[in-house]
Amino acid sequence: MKLLITLLIVGIASFSCEKEKIHSLPQDTLFVSTSDTANHVENMTEKAIDCNTCHTCEKPTAADPCLVDCPREKTWNVSAGSHLPGEGPEIVIIDQLEKLYQPVIFQHRFHSSMATMGVGCSACHHYSPEGKIPPCRDCHANETTATNLRQPSLKGAYHRQCLNCHREWSHDTDCDVCHLPLDPNSPRPATIDRTDIIGVDHPTIHIPEKQVFKTPEEKETVVTFHHQEHVELYKYRCVDCHWDENCSQCHDTLGKIKSFGDKLEAHHSPCTTCHNTVSEKTCGFCHQKQESKGFTHELTGWPMNRFHKKLTCASCHPQNQPLQRLNKTCTACHTNWYTGNFSHVVTGLTLSESHVELECTECHLEDNFAQPPQCETCHDGDVSYPDDLPGEKE
Amino acid sequence: MQRRDFFKFMGASGALLSGASVLGAEHQSKIDPDNVVGVLTDFTECIGCRECEWACKNAHEMATPPLESYKDKSVFANYRRPDETGFTVVNRFHEKGCTQTDLDVKVQCMHCNDPACVSACIVAALEKQDFGPVTYDAWKCIGCRYCMVACPFEIPAYEYNNALTPIVQKCDMCISRLDVGKIPACVEICPRNALTFGKRSDLIKVAREKIADNPGKYVNHIYGETELGGTSWLFISCEPFDTLNFPKLEQASVVTLPESIQHGIFKYFIPPAMFYGLLGMIMKLTKPDSETADNTNSSSEVHHD
Repeated sequence: MKLLITLLIVGIASFSCEKEKIHSLPQDTLFVSTSDTANHVENMTEKAIDCNTCHTCEKPTAADPCLVDCPREKTWNVSAGSHLPGEGPEIVIIDQLEKLYQPVIFQHRFHSSMATMGVGCSACHHYSPEGKIPPCRDCHANETTATNLRQPSLKGAYHRQCLNCHREWSHDTDCDVCHLPLDPNSPRPATIDRTDIIGVDHPTIHIPEKQVFKTPEEKETVVTFHHQEHVELYKYRCVDCHWDENCSQCHDTLGKIKSFGDKLEAHHSPCTTCHNTVSEKTCGFCHQKQESKGFTHELTGWPMNRFHKKLTCASCHPQNQPLQRLNKTCTACHTNWYTGNFSHVVTGLTLSESHVELECTECHLEDNFAQPPQCETCHDGDVSYPDDLPGEKE
Repeated sequence: MQRRDFFKFMGASGALLSGASVLGAEHQSKIDPDNVVGVLTDFTECIGCRECEWACKNAHEMATPPLESYKDKSVFANYRRPDETGFTVVNRFHEKGCTQTDLDVKVQCMHCNDPACVSACIVAALEKQDFGPVTYDAWKCIGCRYCMVACPFEIPAYEYNNALTPIVQKCDMCISRLDVGKIPACVEICPRNALTFGKRSDLIKVAREKIADNPGKYVNHIYGETELGGTSWLFISCEPFDTLNFPKLEQASVVTLPESIQHGIFKYFIPPAMFYGLLGMIMKLTKPDSETADNTNSSSEVHHD
């Protein structure tokens, strides 16, 4: 018995040594072959997920987990927002084929930060339950099963994920791009270079101020797209428009660029989320005779004061709806301002003690704050704004 | 018989023959297409690694360079066909609109539900197995190569370089592997599961789902579902198949018409009986004239006597 335990300890020690040997790996490295069932029950209890949701038997074991067929729709929920790219492991070691090749070192965080340019984590983690993201092997068996022919095997799943981008990017689909030979004399991957771009967010992309497109329309040929304005003023994230792009759009080593195609829908697709490109009445919004000037709020007939300038469009204009003209009355938005909670100081005029407790409407008649305040409500015409002020101006 | 009568006779025979083909028109496939196995190839997943070519040769104990050498992409310069040295090949189509990369297309024997090669083989060296594969028995083969002429996909290849014991060669869906519960070698090695092995009816369902779930990704066509009465090997693609050197084919198998005529002619022996009956009728109808002439002659003879 003693011998057995000793052997076991030596075995575990040598196993972990073997893994240590590969590199000086960063702290948050994940080995896909290492089982993480130890904390599984705890994790699931924490998330209040009942065992029966995934398991069919009472006492599932690692050898026989008796799982219900994948995808387990009821519990699976792609929650792209709940896992930030930085929260994932930095490196994932894919070491199922240890006997054939050196383990694949997958630079997870590097790829996840790239994914933020596209659809996010769910580009690869297409089924993600609440809480911990399951490893691919939880669903993808070693071989395609007759009961679920659509689900690729583990090998197929890995290669589909990796090669979808890599074949478009480098056009190099040879095995040794990822799988280095076991032969000790062959070059081994260098120790991870922390000065490299791994784990760093995508470098800042230069956003053009505007782009001017010439269209084949008969009269209104020019479409001006104020790119910077859409990012900085309207606060759109890159992915809001560039949702259908992938790494190879910019990083194709052969320098090919994907064209949008000739179809009208394809040209309009990045704009349709917000602009009506279907109705012919609204064409003139973008298609004009000459380059259009950028947006200023003055154009709408309502120049913004220094307070409003700080706000995003969505603070006033309802989100996920076409922008609409709003009610100009101050109280339409500022519904909860009244004497006592509004500090008049911010307007640059500190009210005197005699004025500070008056109702707003006693000076600003009919809630019209755009008009000069009236003093006649209390005063007999001997005082008037702005010659006489109800306080001190800054 | 006069010229005019001859044409009448030929017309009648033609009508009879077409009648025969009508008799045999209910040409039935010998297999149940729902109970055969097959392979679904998804061209959008293929990356042209050509490991399937290696695995195929390896499984059939054919001469092959090591797997490493299949990295060489220069072979894509020429369009290739399966031949006696390799039962499957991957061809690369450049500049296809549907993909940012090249489109790689694997071809091999389609294992038709109603194979023309089997129909053409006069010694039954080629045989359609109940569960799908079209197999070849070199011991029965006499080397007539009718199969090569019959195949609409130009698959069977002949060992022209083998002077003494040439045989026809083609994909056998790895039947020796299927017999021991393994899947075809090309399917097994495919790193991206571009090939899926399964029951043909299930594969059609999978293909339909894939097309429906990815609008715009695929052309709405499962090649092999209906072509020539259906094939065991099925394909889905993002480009129309005729641009990928796949022949545009009828829904009915090429064997339908010849087999209908051939089998129809001898069905219950009715058409031959009718044909000979017709001949008899013609004989009978034309006989009285000659008899009368004979009688006249003989009577005149008697008269002379």
